[in-house]
Parts: sequence; structure tokens; C-alpha cells
Amino acid sequence: MERFIIIGAGAAGISAAKTLRILRPEDIITVISIDEKVHSRCMLHKYLSHERDAQRINFVDADFFERNDITHITCEAVTKIDTEAKTVFYGDNYSAPYDKLLIATGSGFFIPPIPHFREAPNVFGFRDLSDALKIDQAFAKGKRVFIVGSGLVGLDAASALCERGAEITIAEMAPRVMPLQTDDYAASIYQKAFEEHGCRFLLGIGASDAVTDKDGNITEVILSTGEHVPCDFIIMAAGVRPRIQLAQDSGIAVERAICTDEHLRTSAVDVYAAGDCTGLSGVWPDAVSQGEAAAENMAGIPTVYEKPYPFKNTSNFFGITMLSVGRLDLTEGAEILVHKTQSEYKKAIVKDGKLTGFLSLGDISNSGLYLYLIKNSIDISGKQNKIFRLSFADFYGINQKNGEFAYNI
Amino acid sequence: MNNCTDCINCNTCPSADKPMEEYIRRIPLETAHHRVEGQSTKCGFGLQGVCCRLCANGPCRITPESPRGICGANADTIVARNFLRAVAAGSGCYIHVVENTARQLKNTGLHKDKIRSEKALNHLAGLLGVTGKDKYDLCVKVADAVLSDLYRPEYEPMELVEKLAYSPRVKRWKELGIMPGGAKGEVFLNVVKTSTNLSSDPAEMLVSCLRLGISTGLYGLQLTNLLNDVVLGDPEIRTAPVGMNVIDPNYINILITGHQHSLFTYIQDRLLDDDVTAKAKAAGAKGFKLVGCTCVGQDLQLRGAHYTEIFDGHAGNNYISEAVLSCGAIDAVLSEFNCTLPGIEPICEKLKIKQICLDVVAKKANADLIPFHYETRQEDGDKIIDEIIEAYKSRRGQVPMNLFTEHGNKNTLTGISEGSLKAFLGGSWKPLIDLIASGKIKGLAGVVGCSSVAYGHDTLTAELTKELIAKDILVLTAGCSSGGLENIGMMTPEAAELAGPNLKAVCKELGIPPVLNFGPCLAIGRLEIVATEIARELGVDLPQLPLVISAAQWLEEQALADGSFALALGLPLHLGVPPFVTGSKLVTKILTEDMVGLTGGRVIIDPDGKSAANQLEAIIEEKRRALKI
Amino acid sequence: MKRIFIDPAKCDGCKNCSLACMESHRQDGGTGIYTLDLLDPRNQSRNRILSDGKGGYSPVFCRHCDIPDCAGACMSGALHKNMESGLVEYDAEKCAACYMCVMSCRYGVPAISPDRKHIIKCDFCAHLEEGPACVRACPKKAIEVREV
Repeated sequence: MERFIIIGAGAAGISAAKTLRILRPEDIITVISIDEKVHSRCMLHKYLSHERDAQRINFVDADFFERNDITHITCEAVTKIDTEAKTVFYGDNYSAPYDKLLIATGSGFFIPPIPHFREAPNVFGFRDLSDALKIDQAFAKGKRVFIVGSGLVGLDAASALCERGAEITIAEMAPRVMPLQTDDYAASIYQKAFEEHGCRFLLGIGASDAVTDKDGNITEVILSTGEHVPCDFIIMAAGVRPRIQLAQDSGIAVERAICTDEHLRTSAVDVYAAGDCTGLSGVWPDAVSQGEAAAENMAGIPTVYEKPYPFKNTSNFFGITMLSVGRLDLTEGAEILVHKTQSEYKKAIVKDGKLTGFLSLGDISNSGLYLYLIKNSIDISGKQNKIFRLSFADFYGINQKNGEFAYNI
Repeated sequence: MNNCTDCINCNTCPSADKPMEEYIRRIPLETAHHRVEGQSTKCGFGLQGVCCRLCANGPCRITPESPRGICGANADTIVARNFLRAVAAGSGCYIHVVENTARQLKNTGLHKDKIRSEKALNHLAGLLGVTGKDKYDLCVKVADAVLSDLYRPEYEPMELVEKLAYSPRVKRWKELGIMPGGAKGEVFLNVVKTSTNLSSDPAEMLVSCLRLGISTGLYGLQLTNLLNDVVLGDPEIRTAPVGMNVIDPNYINILITGHQHSLFTYIQDRLLDDDVTAKAKAAGAKGFKLVGCTCVGQDLQLRGAHYTEIFDGHAGNNYISEAVLSCGAIDAVLSEFNCTLPGIEPICEKLKIKQICLDVVAKKANADLIPFHYETRQEDGDKIIDEIIEAYKSRRGQVPMNLFTEHGNKNTLTGISEGSLKAFLGGSWKPLIDLIASGKIKGLAGVVGCSSVAYGHDTLTAELTKELIAKDILVLTAGCSSGGLENIGMMTPEAAELAGPNLKAVCKELGIPPVLNFGPCLAIGRLEIVATEIARELGVDLPQLPLVISAAQWLEEQALADGSFALALGLPLHLGVPPFVTGSKLVTKILTEDMVGLTGGRVIIDPDGKSAANQLEAIIEEKRRALKI
Repeated sequence: MKRIFIDPAKCDGCKNCSLACMESHRQDGGTGIYTLDLLDPRNQSRNRILSDGKGGYSPVFCRHCDIPDCAGACMSGALHKNMESGLVEYDAEKCAACYMCVMSCRYGVPAISPDRKHIIKCDFCAHLEEGPACVRACPKKAIEVREV
């Protein structure tokens, strides 16, 4: 009987636990998490907007651990891994031996080195439930919010709080909102929507300093332009960093992230890593599949995890939905195709007969095949003229044996 | 368990007529009842009327993702256009019938041919305000008055409308601007209107339906009856056998199908001539008999008092014609109009039954076409007779007999018309009005129109009728609904037992059934005359009467034209299935709600006999309250 | 598990399956095709009959994949593969409308609900004992439920 320990109860940790339980019905599985409740960080904004309580941002059933006979140790940080003795230490000197260990500690928010920001008690991240709780408490005292960064995290926070009547200022270093996912036009649509809901954007502008009160709380953000923006608290959404401290302290090889091989093994024997802490990807589906792949390897089924490609994300703010896949900025030597109507905007980047980037704003229903085309570098020459009307019908195939579909390419 | 060795399949549709259902299940030939199963998957777009194939861009269908056709037509336009097309086509059918009927009367006059009812002639001439030198001249004049109206352009109002219609209705129609122009022109105009990228206005198109309804009802229905009465004889109340028992295999039997009784005038008399009878005898038969089927059979049955020798009786409605033919004792089918199912063709082929068509509009694929021309009727008639005798000789003994002598009954009350009923009541509507006023008869329901099979053969018609009479509502029928109801005994005096206590008492006292059979669908016009005369006697308008109409199992486009007349008359009209309109909320609302404000009428859709009867009863009770009775 | 097998060669594009799907999932409490609102976007079909561009049709029905892209991408737990039934089930209550599933289904099955708060996806007519309405509605037997 083997003992599996998983550190972290996010997308990767939970999917690993789930997979391990299927592969190893009898073995001992333990999940140790710093969080009290399993929750989806992608739904934190639903919590912050008070649309859902903590239970309803749980992405597994309430009886998940019980039903799967998995021990869940909550509210405990793992302090050290003894990779020789194959033991983890957590909390007040508790320890647990393992045969196989998975590190799925995720990533944490990053505070750039702006004076006062790293010390101020009223600067929050927006990565997990504890962050959301802190913001909620701060919001009870003051409704002027300064958000650094207009990526998905920043806008998630903004959309949640503006529904609750916040006065929001968002500073973005790039010249447009959601710079990674959008182009200028798509960005303008979202910017307008947020502005209509009371948000103010400062584009191409950063925070360079701050004014604090006697407790060290930031009361005014000083912009790179010199302008002072008064605020009650700050949300940092200017990027994340893989959480590598534990691995590093335990002598496991790290660079910017925990180093893993193609089987998601770390430098330590029988220690694996999955999810954001590996730095391989930052999106949920990839974390899930890393958790699955790591679990398979831990269970003795050699599984090669292919580096996720391409960049991909969706967003849905105020009912404006967007899908963004691949690279929209790499346009050299590429054909840029655009389709724009009153209710839709689509853009495709085609290079050497292959789709390399795709953006769709509007009704993104039934558009999953674009990710597949980019991911698998499928030749679409001859189909450029209907690039925005492609459907699975253009690649229709059926696996006669099991009735599943198959791409006919 | 399954001991039928040569049946086609046992998945036949249910029928209100259980013995017939069993008979059909066992016959070794395919009928409509067998085909229901294979056609049970309906096109939902078609059912809702939102499939448009008016142009090569189509067919376009309406879905949430595609709310307009390629041309831009929305559901309202597509539905209204399809509906008006159907009403126009249906109107064209009835107008064709009245045209031929009037021509027959005219020829009768011109050739001083046999007139069976001078009383009817004088009545009609009086109604139309026509005079003539003698009865023959009067026939010509009456016919010309009708024909000239039919042939008017649509921009000229027809002159007889005001003479035929009840004045309060005419007043309302004028207010609504729906007085019809020339009846054929109206059909023409509205067919044009519904062509590709012409009218897109659903409200205007529905108003056009009402106009077509008026010309259809007054001319196609009412006048056809009155014209036929002159040549073919007035209906007389009597009892008659109905169902397949009427078929006597010792005769050369001719099944008649269609709607134009006047086209048979010559031949039905000729068949009794001694030389023709002698030919039949020489072939081994006792003589000729006509077997009724569909509405022309109903019409012959209605006037059966004049045709006891040649007419054996009415076998049944359109959807048992295939079964009737399968009995083996029918030697020929003479058809002249619709409700002649294409499904009879393979059966006739197999059983060597001669098919002859008397009108090109209903030319069947494997039939001889010998169109009726007055001038050549004698030689054509003899040719038809000879062909039929040949068929008799070549098929008898060669094809199997599958008689169904126990089917139907012997004592169905028939011969009811506006004239014969009034006479029966002692020459006045007062006794009927008194019965209604006293509540012994709660109200009147016209259960009319077709028979259909897709949801059961006559099942809804029968269920609804039973529910209505149980509520003391007297049912008047016309059309294939009559054929279905009479075969299950609803028009025998014994059916009084099924009526509610008050109606039952009335039936027993008068010796009548609780369902009165006016005959063919054309006689919906007679029923409406009855309604008009009662309204006139009461001094009220038609929508005020405790009268409802149900075309429970409406089948054809003609029924929709009839229905449009009912709406123009301001009557509540029940339909078992919607007329392919529900894809448009607007059209549905106009038909089922807003129509009340226009004409007083409205469409009620209900596929369930019990709840439909409850709805209709509620309407009758409401009208009774308004009349304070 | 059961899966709807498709024979595209038999499909005539009549969309009876789509109407059956719409009828099966209508929310207005009504029954019967006559009252099914064909203009209400909430009634959109979960299956789609696409033209194959050659005069035929490519019916796209949810495969309830053995390894479902959609469920793997779901960050709310709304979509999950039921290991007993084999179905990819959707819990609208849990859905956070992030539409990662829409992006991830390589066959383009999930659609966005008109209120942009949920997705629309085949549930194998879980509420019908007799199984998926689409299959029963197909006059050509181009779709059938088979055990795999």
C-alpha cells in the first residue's frame, strides 16, 4: 500500500487526487492545503461580488474527500520536505511520511518594488479565498479601490467590486486593457464596458510611489505621471510568481519555477510537481491535465506531459464574452484576417497555411475548434476564405469503433 | 398470436369505427391507415408553418439562430403567406364546384332537361331576385346570375352577396372592407399576393382570408346546394343503411368519389335504363348500383329519396375508400373531385377496378379521363358504362371477395337540410328555438368537415360529438365527419341513449338521433343557412347564437377556406390541430383572440375531445347568458 | 456507457433532431411542437446539423467523450464525467460562465446561453426514461443509441 501526499488543493492538486483515487483505489491519499476550503480561484470574483458564498465557489462536491476516502488536512502550511526521509513537515511540527509526493502549491501574487507597496497592510493580492476575505473586510471600510494591473485577475476584482459600488481606478502599464488577451479593438470594447460601470483606467501608467498614514496604509498612490490618486486599499494584479519557496528550502531544483522533467518529476526522487508552481502554464485546464499526468506517473503509469501550447483564455465581463488563443502579436509574415460586425469581432492570424492566433469577441459558442487548429498546427490552406465560419464539419470524422468524433485532416 | 398471414402490417391507426379498424388491420392491401405509422415523424417546421419554399433560396426554416428567411421574411410573414395560399387554393376548389354546378343547371335549362325540384328553383330565383319566362329560362337566368358573379374581376363586388348573406353580417363585412369581388378573381389575386417577395403583411393576408371565406361560403357552399336541389332533388328525411353492408355483390358496383354530384346527373339515371340494365344482366349481374363514398356519396344519400333504385347507400368517408375497394365487389371508381385518395390507385390496379375521372382537376394517374361535357354526355356515358361492364366481366371471379356485410347499420337518419328540417319542425324554427330557450337543447354545434387519420380515424370527431351530446348540445354534421359518425351509429335513433338527459328526452319525443346529418361538406352551407334563419327569427346577429362550429379533424385546404367563412360569420371555430400557423405568435393571436373584435369569431385549438367539448360548452353557456336564456 | 452513434450518410438535414432537442429542453412548461417557440433563443438546440459543403450533412452531437476536454477545462466543477453513466454532466447551478469549456471542446459542442450565464450542452435527455429525444425523432435512423 503506497502513501501519496499532495500539497495544495487547487486545480492541479485536486485533479491529481481524483486521478490517483481512480488508479489506486486502495492506497492512502492525503491532501494538505493552506486553505480551509477547496475553492476555484477563477471564481473568486463571484465570492467578492457576494454572488456566491465560499461553499459555492468550491469546484468539487462537498463530500469529495469523504467519498473518495482522501484525507484532507486543512489550514496547514507545509514547512519542509525531507526528501531523504520522504517526509513532509507541516503546521506545529507535524510530519507525514510519503512514498510519492506532489507539489501543487500554485502561484502567488507579485508586488513590484514600488516604495511602501510591499509593506503596506492595505495592499492585497487576489489569488485565493483568504485574499478575497481581506479585500471584503477592507471594502467594508472604504470603497475607493486602486488596482494595479488590468489582466484577468485585475478585471475580475474590478468587475466584482464595481457591482458593489466601488470607486475603482485601474493602472495598466501597457497601452490597453488585458494586454495579453486582446488587441486594441477588443480591449477598447472591454474598457468601455468597465468605464460604463464606473471604472477609471490609467493606461500606459504605473504606480511609482505612495503616501501612507501612520499605520503604513497607503492613502494615495503616486503615479508615474506625478498624479496622486487617493484610495482606501490596493489590489495587486500585476502578475504572479510560482510558489517555489517550499521546494527551494527543501533542496529541490528551482529556477523561476520548480524544475520538472517530461514526467513532471522534480529533482528529488518520488517528488512531482504540477500546476502553476511548475511555471508551465497559468490556466486552469493545463493545471488539471498536469495534475492528471503527474498522478499517472506517481501511480507508475509513465505519462509524458507535453508542454502546453498555445496561450489560451476566455473572459466574460458584463456578458461580453471573448476567446483568445495563440499569439495575436506575432504578425510578421502572417496574414491578418478580421471580421467585424455590430455584435461580433473576430481576428485570425494565419502563417504558412496555419492558424497561429485567434481572437473572438461576441458569441463564442461552438468555437473550440480554433484552439485545436492552433494547438495541432493543422493546415487550413484553402479554408482561409471561411476562416471565421469554420466548424467541425470542415474536419468531420467519426471513430467507427467507439462513436467518438475524430478530426479528418 | 399473430395469425394474419397476408396483411401488410398491423400498425394501423386507431379508428372511432372499431369493426372497421379491425377490418383494415387484416386486409392484404396498404391503406392510409397503414401509412400513418411510417409518416408519424412530422416536420416540426412544417407543423408550425415556418418552412418557406417559395423561392430557390429556400427552403428556409425559422429557428432561434435564424429568425428570418434569406429574403428577410419573418415567421409572421411566412406563416400568413402559407396560410393564405392554402385558403386561396381551398376557395378555388369550392368555386370550381359551384361553377360546374351552375353550368349544369344552365345546360339543364337550355336543353329543357329534367328538373327535379321546381320548388327549389323558385325558392332560389326568389332569393336571388331573378325571373324567367318559364322554369327552363329561370334555370338559365339563375345560373347566369351565379356565373357572372364568379367570373367578375376581383375589383368588382359580387352582386349576390347581399342577397345571400344575413344583413347584420353584410354590414360588418362592409365595415371591415371584406366584401368579396369576383370569386375566381379573389383566388387569383391572393395566389399572386402570396408569391415570392410580394405581400409580407400578415394582417392584410389574414383579412384576405376572410374575404375568400365569404366567397367560398356563400357561393361554393350555400349556392352549390341550392343549385343542386333544383336538378338533383330536395333532400327528404328518411332512414337509410350506411357502411359496407350497403354493397351488394350481385350488382355491378360503381364507387363514386368527389364533390360534384351534378356531374353524375346523367349517368345515374342512364344506369337504370332498360338497355343498360340488360347489358348488365348479359354480363351476369342483376344491374348497376352506385356505392357512396366521400362527400358526393353523402350528397346522393341526402337526396336518396329520389334514387332508391340506383343508390345502395353510403359506405363511408374518404379514409375508408381504400377499405371499401378492397372488398372485391366494387368494379369501378367514378371520380370527379378531391377526397379521391391516390392510395386507391394501387388497390384498383391490383383488384382490376376500373378508374374513370369525370373532371380533369381530379385526374388520377391510372384512370381514364372522360371529362363530363353536357353536349357529349350520352356517348360519353355509354362509353363509361361499357368500360365498367368490361371491368366487371374481366375481374369477377378473378379477384378475391372480402365483404364486410356486418359493417355499419341500417337505420341512419338522413335527408336533413334547412328545408326538410324546417318542414319536420312544422314549417317554423320556433319549436327548435323554444327547445333551446328552455335549455332542453343547450345549444347547437356543427361538427363538420373532414376525416383525417394521422391522429386517429374519426377518433376526435367521435369523442367530441359524444361529449357534446352528453352536454345536451345538439350536433349538426356535414362532410366526412358525417360519414364517420353515421357508421358508428351516432345518427340512429338509438344514439339518443348517449345524449344528456334533456337532449335524450327531446330525441325520444321527436324520434330523432342527437346528431343530425346534413350530408356533404358542401352542406356546411345549409347548416349556416339554418343558423342565419334562427338568428333572423330571434332578431340577433350570428355571433350571438349559442352555436359553435368544430372542424375537429379538418384535413384539406378547402376546410381552411370553409373555416375562414365560419370566422367571417363570427362563429367560434374549433380545430383539432392548428392549421400550420403556430410558428407566428401574431397570426396565432389574430386567429385565436383578435378575431373576436373583428368578426366575433375565433379559432379554438384543442386536440382533446373532452376539453374541447368543455371549451365549446363554456362558449355556448356564455352566449346563452348574454341572450338571457 | 451509451453514446449516440451518427451515420451522416443517412442525414437529410431535416432538423427534426434539433426540434426534438428544443422541445425536450424547453423551459416554459408547455408541451407539443405546436407551442414550441421557434424564435426564443433559450430554446436553441443542443445538437447542430451542419452542412458538409458537398450537399450532405455533418450532424454534431455531444460525444460525452471518454476524455472530455470540456470537463477538464471546467474550473467551477459544473461539468464532470460521471464514471458510472459515462455522461459528461452539467450542473448549471455551479457554472461560473467562464466558457473555458467552449474554448476547449475541439468539436465545438458547448454553446453559450442567451443570458451569457450558462452553457447549453447535451444532457442525453436525462429527464426522459426513453432516452434522448433526438434519436427518437430522426426519421432516417441516422442517429441511434449504442452501448460502447
